[in-house]
Amino acid sequence: MLGYTIKRLLQMIFVLWIVSVIVFLMMSFTGDPVFMVIPIDSTEAEIAQAREILGLNRSLLEQYLIFLKGILQGDFGRSYVYRQPALDLILERLPATFEIVLVAIVLAAVVAIPLGVYAGANPNRASSRAIMSASLLGISLPSFWVGMMLIFLLAVQWQMFPSSGRGDTVDLGWFRTSLLTGDGWHHILLPALTLSLGTMAIILRMTRAGMMEVMRQDYIKFARAKGVSRRGMLYGHGLRNAMIPVVTIFGLQLGDLIAFATITETIFAWPGLGKLLIDSIYRADRPVIVVYLMLVAVLFVVINFLVDIIYTWIDPRITVK
Amino acid sequence: MTINANIRRLLASAAMIALASSGALAKDITIGLTSDAVHMDPQAGEELSSNIMYYHLYDPLVRRSADLEFGPGLAESWKLADDTTWVFTLRDGVKFHDGDTLKASDVVFTLERLKKSLMANLAANIESFRAIDDRTVEIKTFRPYAALPNDLAAILIMSEDHVKKVGDAIDIQPVGTGPYKLGEWVKEDRIVLEAFDGYYMGEAKVDKVTFRPITNPATRTAALLTGELDIVQDLAVRDVARVKETEGFEVVTRPSLLNLVLALDMREKSPTIEGKNPMTDQRVREAMARAIDVTTLSRAIMNGLSTPSAQYVPASHIGHLDGADFRQMYPFDVEKAKALMAEAGYPNGFTLTLDATNNRYVNDAQIAQALASMLAKINVTVKLNLMPKSNFFGYIRVPSDNSSFIMSGWDVPSGDAGSMYSVMFYSRGKKEGYGQVNRGSYSNPEVDALIDKADSTPRVEERDAHLQKVTELLLKDIPMIPVHYEQDIYAVRNGVDFKPRTDKFIWAYELDVKD
Repeated sequence: MLGYTIKRLLQMIFVLWIVSVIVFLMMSFTGDPVFMVIPIDSTEAEIAQAREILGLNRSLLEQYLIFLKGILQGDFGRSYVYRQPALDLILERLPATFEIVLVAIVLAAVVAIPLGVYAGANPNRASSRAIMSASLLGISLPSFWVGMMLIFLLAVQWQMFPSSGRGDTVDLGWFRTSLLTGDGWHHILLPALTLSLGTMAIILRMTRAGMMEVMRQDYIKFARAKGVSRRGMLYGHGLRNAMIPVVTIFGLQLGDLIAFATITETIFAWPGLGKLLIDSIYRADRPVIVVYLMLVAVLFVVINFLVDIIYTWIDPRITVK
Repeated sequence: MTINANIRRLLASAAMIALASSGALAKDITIGLTSDAVHMDPQAGEELSSNIMYYHLYDPLVRRSADLEFGPGLAESWKLADDTTWVFTLRDGVKFHDGDTLKASDVVFTLERLKKSLMANLAANIESFRAIDDRTVEIKTFRPYAALPNDLAAILIMSEDHVKKVGDAIDIQPVGTGPYKLGEWVKEDRIVLEAFDGYYMGEAKVDKVTFRPITNPATRTAALLTGELDIVQDLAVRDVARVKETEGFEVVTRPSLLNLVLALDMREKSPTIEGKNPMTDQRVREAMARAIDVTTLSRAIMNGLSTPSAQYVPASHIGHLDGADFRQMYPFDVEKAKALMAEAGYPNGFTLTLDATNNRYVNDAQIAQALASMLAKINVTVKLNLMPKSNFFGYIRVPSDNSSFIMSGWDVPSGDAGSMYSVMFYSRGKKEGYGQVNRGSYSNPEVDALIDKADSTPRVEERDAHLQKVTELLLKDIPMIPVHYEQDIYAVRNGVDFKPRTDKFIWAYELDVKD
């Protein structure tokens, strides 16, 4: 287990290094940040002065080496636009994204797993078919459209929810949360629902497929014969064995939601990471983009690691090596 | 007519004051912006949302009205000591938000800091400056320069003590002399400003202003309609009809300062044209100008929300030539344009590339496409090279010289055509600080001489006269085709007294709420 963890760690560092090189190279083709921050009629001398202030007067290799050296000392560089440490900018927005993803994934699990179990156990009922059709909608409707419809209907027409923003927040140390205020919940529900629909549908379909597979197995029949209740059979025996692929997807979806909450955040003016990324790409703000993508890489590696651990817990026959 | 309107406005505000003093109700307002501010340090970069915050928090020596008229700001008066020396007298007893009194040394500190910043450009004409006493600042320009007060309107005065105290944190802990102070800033969610009760022009009518950055235009409209916002910046064109139809809201538009222009390469050899560059011939340039139908552009692409530009700067500016209109000089006329092309020896036209953005100006990519099809009618084949703005401004940079034909926007917030003409139309490489964005390499000794004259007089009338002559020459030479001014579109809840400013700043000090 320890060996495995170390191996995963080394893997992660390698992935991060590759990401940093690729992003750094790519960013040098996507525009010159200096023209995004200075007036366009600046003279050559003023442009040169600005380049020096931003550290852009050095070669790309030099810039990369400085960046790498900084990282080893825990300094992830400063944003050209915001002029603050890139990592701070990201950490400042992380709680908002974390929250919306948390609510979305919980919402997805709470809705999708019971429905998936039901549809898998009773595949021929009309209600199961209705659930499956609805899930197809959840997969195929683009989230920006869903978000706009929710805003149009629930915010503008019926005035039940606010259209955008985060509402009242509470500070817990550096972590600013809106999950402890009523106003915060009022604001988070629409965007979280929008974000969760796709995941909800996927988890629902995976759960159903797993359950259908499991329900045909002999041990389910034995359990029934032994007198296990239907509920116990479905959730105790069936779901547990149907869970492995669901957990995999769950992990992948979690990473996806964090990395790509961008569209939902933009539509609902939710102050999370996704908006920061879009703005930074727009303004060629290299340090922020690099750190952001590295953070996402870390997330994926960590989530995959956790997923592997959860496997062993669900199915003791699986071991991590 | 205007006088009447002004009197009415005066009476209205008198009534408001009476109401305010009787009721003394707290007033607040929420404004939807297209993006968050990035910092609160007025010398850290150029960007509209941040600029809007700067002008709430800080003040310049010279103030600029909503219509670009200039008047006293932190300086109550100024005079010329000699041709290059200006003496500014500061208002007595102006307070910073932290209670400190404004001193001449703060102005000196501000200028010193500016010279070393990303915005050094703002102080390009200033040679030196010093404090004579606590309320007097002397500023010397490199040469006699009448537009110094215009330049100073963009320089916001910071507190020396405070900046030294907080250091880098000035980005998030601004202290100025402006009508509002920073209350709360939740990044990407809201910026709350509170009226500063020590403001030297009197406290603002609106006590609390909340700015909410909402990038998605549809969401901004929705938030207005749900009552979360009182004013929306940059209403999406497609939502204009919807807001107009909705009871309780109105749409307010104003031509912006941003003039969309087409720069034509005037060199003998141009990077994207084979052989000799036809655009060196005035007749070809005139033909291109006549082939462009701004009325169709406005109707078909801008939904009527653009104003064809008559010159290179708006009528309010120093250097604007009254009565001269590019559209009347070269009206849309394909037949005449074809004849001019034939006369110049290009009946079969030529091919060139247009460099344009696809995310900077309203409908920029569509405009570029429309221009290509219009010019095709006079056999000028235009290939499009569209790119995002983060690439564009580096690509069209003068020393790299990639371009034959460029579409870009230009605004002159200083209200002085000279600041544009000297960098855009002065011969390249002839004089330091001149011609650095002369993208078409236009060179006319007469223009150079007139700009020199304009830049060597400390008298505004004289400067104006020289620059007007430059305008006349430019309209004749056509080194650049002016296309149109975009319109700034706002949506406002009824009961909010809001008039858009020419410079696109939303300034809560000028706002009021009636209910």
